[in-house]
This record gives sequence, structure tokens and C-alpha cells, in this order.
Amino acid sequence: MSLRVAQFIYRWRLYLSGAIVIGALILAPRAQIQVIDNDLTAWFSPDDPVYQDYVRFRDEFGGTRTVIVAIEAPSRERLFSEQGFAFLDKVSGDIERVQAVLRVSSLATATVVDVLPSSGVNDDGGLQVRRLIEDLETKSPGAVGQRAMDDELFRGDLISEDGTVTALILFFDEARIDDVRAEVLTEIRRLVDAQLPTGFKAHYNGSLEITEWYNRVTLANQTTFTPPILALTLLALFVMFRSVKKTLLTFGAILVSLLWTLGLYDLFGFSYNVLSSMIIPLVVVLAVADDVHILQHYGLERRTRSREQAFVGTVRHLMAPLFGASATTALGMLSLATSQVVAVREFGMGAAIGVMVDFAISIILVPTMLGWVKEERVAAPQESWFLGPLRSVAMFSTRHARAVMAVVIGLVVLAGVGMSRLRVDTNHINFFSERHELYTSAQVMDKKLAGIYTFQVFLEGAPESMQQPDILKRMDRLSTELKALPFVRKVTSVADYVKRVHRELNDGRQEAFVIPETSSEVAQELLVFGLGDEGRAELERMAASDFSRAQVTVKLASMSSDLVFVQVTEADRLAQQIFAGSGVKATVTGSGRLFSMLDHYLVRSQITSFATAFVTVFGVIFLVFRSWRFGLLSIAPNLVPVLAVFGVMGWLGISLNVATVMVASVALGVVDDDTIHFISRYRRETAAGATTDEAIETATTQEGRAALTTAVINCCAFAVLTLSEYRPSAWFGGLLALTMVMAFLAEVFILPAMIKLFPALFGAERVHAQGVGRA
Amino acid sequence: MARQVQDRDTGNDGRSTMRMRLFDRQGRVRERVLSTLSLKGGPGRPVPGDRSLTRFTYPNDINGTGFLVWENPAGEDERFLYLPSLGRVRRIAGNETQDSFVGSDFTYEDIGGREFNDYTYALLDENGTWTSPDGTSHPAFRLESRAKAAGARFPRVVSLVRKDNFVVVHGEIHNRRDELQKTFSVKKLDRVSGIWTVMEMAMSDTTARTRTELVVEKIEYNVGLKEADFSRRELERGAGR
Repeated sequence: MSLRVAQFIYRWRLYLSGAIVIGALILAPRAQIQVIDNDLTAWFSPDDPVYQDYVRFRDEFGGTRTVIVAIEAPSRERLFSEQGFAFLDKVSGDIERVQAVLRVSSLATATVVDVLPSSGVNDDGGLQVRRLIEDLETKSPGAVGQRAMDDELFRGDLISEDGTVTALILFFDEARIDDVRAEVLTEIRRLVDAQLPTGFKAHYNGSLEITEWYNRVTLANQTTFTPPILALTLLALFVMFRSVKKTLLTFGAILVSLLWTLGLYDLFGFSYNVLSSMIIPLVVVLAVADDVHILQHYGLERRTRSREQAFVGTVRHLMAPLFGASATTALGMLSLATSQVVAVREFGMGAAIGVMVDFAISIILVPTMLGWVKEERVAAPQESWFLGPLRSVAMFSTRHARAVMAVVIGLVVLAGVGMSRLRVDTNHINFFSERHELYTSAQVMDKKLAGIYTFQVFLEGAPESMQQPDILKRMDRLSTELKALPFVRKVTSVADYVKRVHRELNDGRQEAFVIPETSSEVAQELLVFGLGDEGRAELERMAASDFSRAQVTVKLASMSSDLVFVQVTEADRLAQQIFAGSGVKATVTGSGRLFSMLDHYLVRSQITSFATAFVTVFGVIFLVFRSWRFGLLSIAPNLVPVLAVFGVMGWLGISLNVATVMVASVALGVVDDDTIHFISRYRRETAAGATTDEAIETATTQEGRAALTTAVINCCAFAVLTLSEYRPSAWFGGLLALTMVMAFLAEVFILPAMIKLFPALFGAERVHAQGVGRA
Repeated sequence: MARQVQDRDTGNDGRSTMRMRLFDRQGRVRERVLSTLSLKGGPGRPVPGDRSLTRFTYPNDINGTGFLVWENPAGEDERFLYLPSLGRVRRIAGNETQDSFVGSDFTYEDIGGREFNDYTYALLDENGTWTSPDGTSHPAFRLESRAKAAGARFPRVVSLVRKDNFVVVHGEIHNRRDELQKTFSVKKLDRVSGIWTVMEMAMSDTTARTRTELVVEKIEYNVGLKEADFSRRELERGAGR
């Protein structure tokens, strides 16, 4: 069967290769990664209940995504100076003129409500609703600053406790901002930086800023690291094979694979994001692995046989293992298509397509191009360097199988302990180096202001329900309970506004800082609060116009997603408990809940993917080799490297997060390739009459050599990623290198040792008796 | 022409009942009913600036809540608030003409007219046309008003002014980015006691995605209101009527 397929490919090789190259050229324009989409819809499916909660909330109150500009002054006196207030006033006005900016909340736009003293017998006094900075006409800047610090609604949000940092919180038109985000954020920076008084510093953060940084990083990773990865791959290929033509043709094949994969990815309408950027390294790694096998096998065949014979022989012998290796990887990736996370789903489908396309290119294009290369008589360095040591490794593995397995068990235990330390955690801020401005700005906002992360408790009930005293008191109780949670910096609800107005209408008496007893009082006081534009805007953000819905906003310090998840879960428990029997439905939502849930989805995806991949590897090996025993044999060498990678992550404190979670998928893709090649070769050799030891030696020296060559090439190339200022990229580079090494070690140590330890299952005699492996 | 808009006859005083419908971004509507008294001020009149007393009569939870505004051409307006639940009149300081009128999409100046001296004007089109909701066309001026105050929330308004009666029948109100944010439109215009009166009007805000409709259910002009009808005591006393 494989002989006929090999002969068919040889006969049509030029047409098939031509079609592959023309296809790559046609798809090339689509392989441009310029538009990066790390928005919510890149991660959440529209029918996801958590996302639907958020959409329901967003439709009511607008988006929760903001940009926070923290202005840090050298001293409180400098901030509360004429110059400081003038800057805030000017820059707030300028930013409000930037497109898609809906509102700027700052000390310059803040409204204060004060009690007016009685001016005579017929005057009961009054209320003064005005912009805070209007006080500058009659008071000193220091006094105005103190007034701001005394206001519980501003303290933490707009001004730090020590009065040295103030915030401009920018709200945007959700319908427009994603289309113009990059230019709007650039314009805001330009406006602020250009007018910043000497000695002042501006720090930028907030959910929109983080999203934008993700886009920048994704793009930077593509543009900065792809060229050196490809260049180092080229160099390593040359060093391994010492042949310009072989290096160039392999490199060409890798590029063709990339063009096909990225082109098809775009053609299917998938978007590029921080996750899908991992497809490039995945395709490069697997393409190098496949092509090295072809190069090596073809080279050996060509020494004694004609071009046609070498072509057909190479394709015939590598068709099954390459197909098996690619199919297992592709099916493992395809299992991600069931993920709840859109980005994971698209990555899975895109990667599966890429892997199979790469298989076709490796089996058709590479041997076709090799036919045009004059075979060198001198052994390639990867042969002369690795053959001897690998022979010794084979000898060691077969003679000390028990010792090898004992070490493996020890390593598994060690990895297990490391895995117990592994945390599922995405801390978007900690992904950046401590020198990165996103990191330093988060530090300032966490220490001085109310933090940058938020979640909301969305309350839904009958019209007017949110201005009933009973419901407002429940809101107030929920706020109090939430404020007691660790990491919660600030909680705001419509109850705060009601209490505030009630106090001011009652001569500012602190004992009147309570929810009034009748709904009429509440309705009238809220009407008063909503008379001014600022008050009206605030009220619209906190409650629906018919008071059928309201929100409680919770601000958190920047922290890891598992901690956010704990806070969100606790908030949900409290909300359900407090609103039980009230007729009001409480739902915890907002970006904090979205991103903490995302982590759980990712882990679930990964577990599903692993489970599917392991079953698939077993299944494909069973199908390819028609042997359940060799299917079982593949489990340990596949599992151990993955466990080792997770173990190392646990020991090094690298969390399983939005970026590193894909390392495991890539790891499995690489590891199962090596296993399949080894088992295939072992079975072929034993079927041809070799003893167990002879077959292990050949498989180790030939397939192990290809695996080692691949590992060296890819380690050289991807080590460059460790230079990334974006930590997940650096981790990805390092962990990928570790995976390659572990996969190689598993192949040359674990497989031979297991074969030797269970001769009744895997020994040459058993294979002969079964009469299999002659494919 | 802008001066003629300002000076057109709107009566010396008036008494009206209005129904306000506030639509939010989801299209949900809340109704409020207000009764308003107004007295024209100015040189030679009993009061220096316009006065108005607005009281909510519906819904019940805000029934009796009232606002009294004393416009002051020489300085800041004086505003007073009466909340039945509080039982006392409070002075409110700090509101501006471009602030929301009782929490609606209209501003005080949309309702009471723009202060002539606060704007500069340009006639954009002398031969414009306004088509009323009943389909009839009316010749109109297209007038641009630019606020003199640098910090104005709505610095530019382009209005259609009917040539025959100088009533502003349509307005395009631009925000600080010079984007069209609010649109004012007259739905019904009647002559009441010889005075052209906007009986139905609407204001939509494209940014906030809200809309307010205001329907005059009853209006009387020149009913003989006095300065005393706009006192703080009246604000308080009228709540029980």
C-alpha cells in the first residue's frame, strides 16, 4: 500500500510540488499578521453564559473597560498647586475632545455637593452642587485638594491617601473604541505627556491599556522574534547538515508550510491573538522535525540507490510514522476545537490544519527538491557527531534498563512534587518585566489608588425596585461585606449616592449618612442627585433609568486570576445570600469575572486536549501498527516529558496561564512524533530480522539522531524567545527547548528500557511471532 | 435675526402642564408630569430676570417636588428646591444653563432659550426649509450659534428658525469634539392666545442613546402672575395644592 502511494507521489511529484508552491504564493498575502485581535470576542464565545451575563450588563451600563492615567506629583504641595490643577483641568478637557472618549473622571471634572449654611431667618440653608475646581476662585489650591481628599467617593479613586497621586479615569464609547483604540490611546498619551508639569510622572493602565499592550506584544513577537527564529533555524540546519542546498530547501519547505498554515488560518476567518501567535513556532518545530527525518533517510538511501529509489524508499518508510505523528498532533490540536474559549478553539483548528499541511509538504515537496540536490559523499555533522554517542546511549539503555526506569520513576516523583506546586494563574501585569511601564504603573495604582481590576454585582429586579429602601439597605450591606474581603480596594453602589445626598440634605449630619426609610424620600433624593449632568451621568452608570437594575462596582488590586476568582466566588456567595427572597437577581460579572473564568476554561480545555491526545496517540499507533501493546508502550514516553515540563514549571514558579498552557500542547505534539518514529523503526528492523538490541540500536542511532538534530535546531532557534520582555514568550521559548530535550531523552532512554523490561510484550521474538511491522 | 428669536412674543407670564417621557438606551420609558409657572423678566418688567417654578405631579413618589429658578442677568442664577419628604426649601447653587433640565436630555437653555449675549451668530442659509411632521414645508433660516465661553459643553448649535414666527424648530447640538451629539426637533407647533407655542418637542442624544419627549398638555399665557408667585414660600406652599 505505502509502496504504491510512494510510487504515485513520485510519478506526480512535479505537479503536486508545483501545486503546493503555487498555493503558498496565492495564500501569501493572507499570511500577513498585521491585525491583532485580543478583544473579548477573541476569547469568549457569544453563547457562553458568563459572556452573556457580561453583555447583558454592558448593554445596561456600558462597558467596564477604562484607561486610568495616574498622575504622580513630587509632593502633595506640587499636586495641589495652581499649576497642578491647571494641568488637570486642561488635560481633562483636551482628552474629552478625543474621539470615542465618553467621559473623563478627574479632580477637574468632579462634582462636589456641600451644605450651604442658613443666611437668615427665612433660609433653611441649601445645597451647593458644583465642580470641585470652581472652589479655586475662593480657596487656596491646598484647601481644594484637602476638600477632595475628605470626600469618600474621591479618596482612593481620584486621589491617593497621601495626596501625591491623582487619577484621570477615562470612559469610552464601547461601540467605537475597539476600531480606533490604538490611535486614541496614542493621542491621549501625547496630550498628557506634552503638558505634564516638570517633575510630574504619568502612568497608564486599565483594561483597555492592557488589551492594547497585548496587541503590541503579539505584533512585536511576530515581527521581532520570527526573523531571528527563522535565521537561527537556517544556521542550525546548515551546521547540522553542512549543505547549503539542503539547508535552503528545508528552510524553503518550512516557509511554504508557514504560508499555507497562516493563509488558511486567515481564510477560515480566524483572528490573530496572543495565543494564535504560537502557531508559528509550532509549525516551525514540527516542520523541522519532519524534514530532518526526510533529509536523513533520503541521504542514507541515496548512498546506495538511485534518485527514484531513494525517493520511493524514503516516502514508503516514512509515510506511516510521519502520518501517524502528524495525525496524532493534529487530532490533539483538533480536540481544542471543543474548547469554550474562542481563541483556543481557533488555535486548535488552525494548528491542526497547519500540522497536516506540513505533513503533505514534507512528504511531497521535500523529497522532490532533494532529487535536485547532488548527494554529498561526506557524512553530515549530525551523523558524524551523534552516531557514536547515540550508539553508547542505546547500549546503556538496553543494558541498564532497570536503572534507567528507576531514574525515570524518581524523576516522575520529582516532577509530581513540582506539579503539586503548579498554579493556574494569569496575572496580566506580572507577565511584563518589572521595568515594563505596565508593571510599574500597576504598582503605583495598587499602592496609591484603588487598583486597576474591577468586577460588578449586577442586580436585576422589577421597575423601581432599586430605589426601595429594603433593596438599598441590602446593597449597602453587600458593600460592607465586600469591603471586608482581602484585596478589595473600593466598593461603590447607588446606595452610597443615596446616603450621601441624604446626609447633605440633612445639614451634613453624619448620623444622616444612612438609607432613608421611605421610597418617596429615596426617589426625591435621587431626583435631586440626577439634576446635574455629572450626577445624572453617575446615576446612569449605577442604576437603570426605571430602577429595575443596578450595579455594585468592586475595585481590586492587580492580582493573579486565581485570587480574583476567589474574590468573585465569595462575592457571588454573599450577593446570593444577601438578596435571597428580595425578588432581585444578583449576578457577578465584569472584566474580573471574565478573566478569572477564562483561566478555568483554559485549564479545562487543556485537560480535555490531553485526554483526547493520549487516547488519540494510542488509537493512531494501534491503527498504524495494529498493535494495542505498542499503543500502551507509547504512553510512558509521551507522558513523562509532559510531566517533566509541568514539574519544572512548578519548581520554577511558572504558572499555567493563558500563554504557557499551550506549551503542553506543543510538547505533546513533539513528543509523540519522536515516539512514533522510534516504534516504527524498531518494528521495521525487528520485522526485517534484527534482534531486540539491534533494532533498539538502529532506532536510537537513526530516529534518535533525527530527534536530537531537531532538538538542537529548535533549541537554538527558540532560545531567542527567552529575550522577550513579555514573560510568557520567554517562558514559552525556554519550555519549548526543555520539551525538545525531554522528548529526545524519553525516546532514547525510556522506550529502549521498557522494551527490554517487557520482552514478552515488545521483544523481537514477539514481533516476529505476530508477523507485524512489514508495512 | 438671533435677536428676533430672543425677542419674539412668549407672553409676560404663563402657566402650563407638561408630560415628559424619558427614553433610556434600552428604549424603556419613564413618564413625569410637571406643572410650570413662568414670568418674563427684564428691563421695565417686575423682575430683572426670568422666573420659573416647576413642580412634579407624577409619579407619586416625587409628587410635589419643586424647583424655583430666579434668573439673574448680572450674575449667577438662584435656584431653590423643595422636597416634600424633607419639608423644607433648599437653595441649590452651581447649576449652569447647559446643565440638564430636571434630569432630561433638554438643558435649561433648550427649554428657556439661549441667552443672546452668551453666543456669537452666523447665518448659514437664508433660504432653508423646515418640513413639519405633518408634511408641510416652511421657509427657514439656518443659524449657527457659537458659545463664547471656552468651557461650554455644547459650543456649537445649528438651528432652523422659521421665517414667519422666529421659532426654533430644529437644532443640531454639537459637543466639544464638534460631533453632533444632540438633535432637537419640534413635533407640534400651535398658536395659543396668539403666541406661537411649541406643543411637542423631542431631544435625542446619540452619544448617551437617550431621548426625551416633552408634550405641553395645557398652556395659558398672560394669566397675571406676580413676583410673589415665585417666592420660596410659594414653592413650599404650592406643594400641598
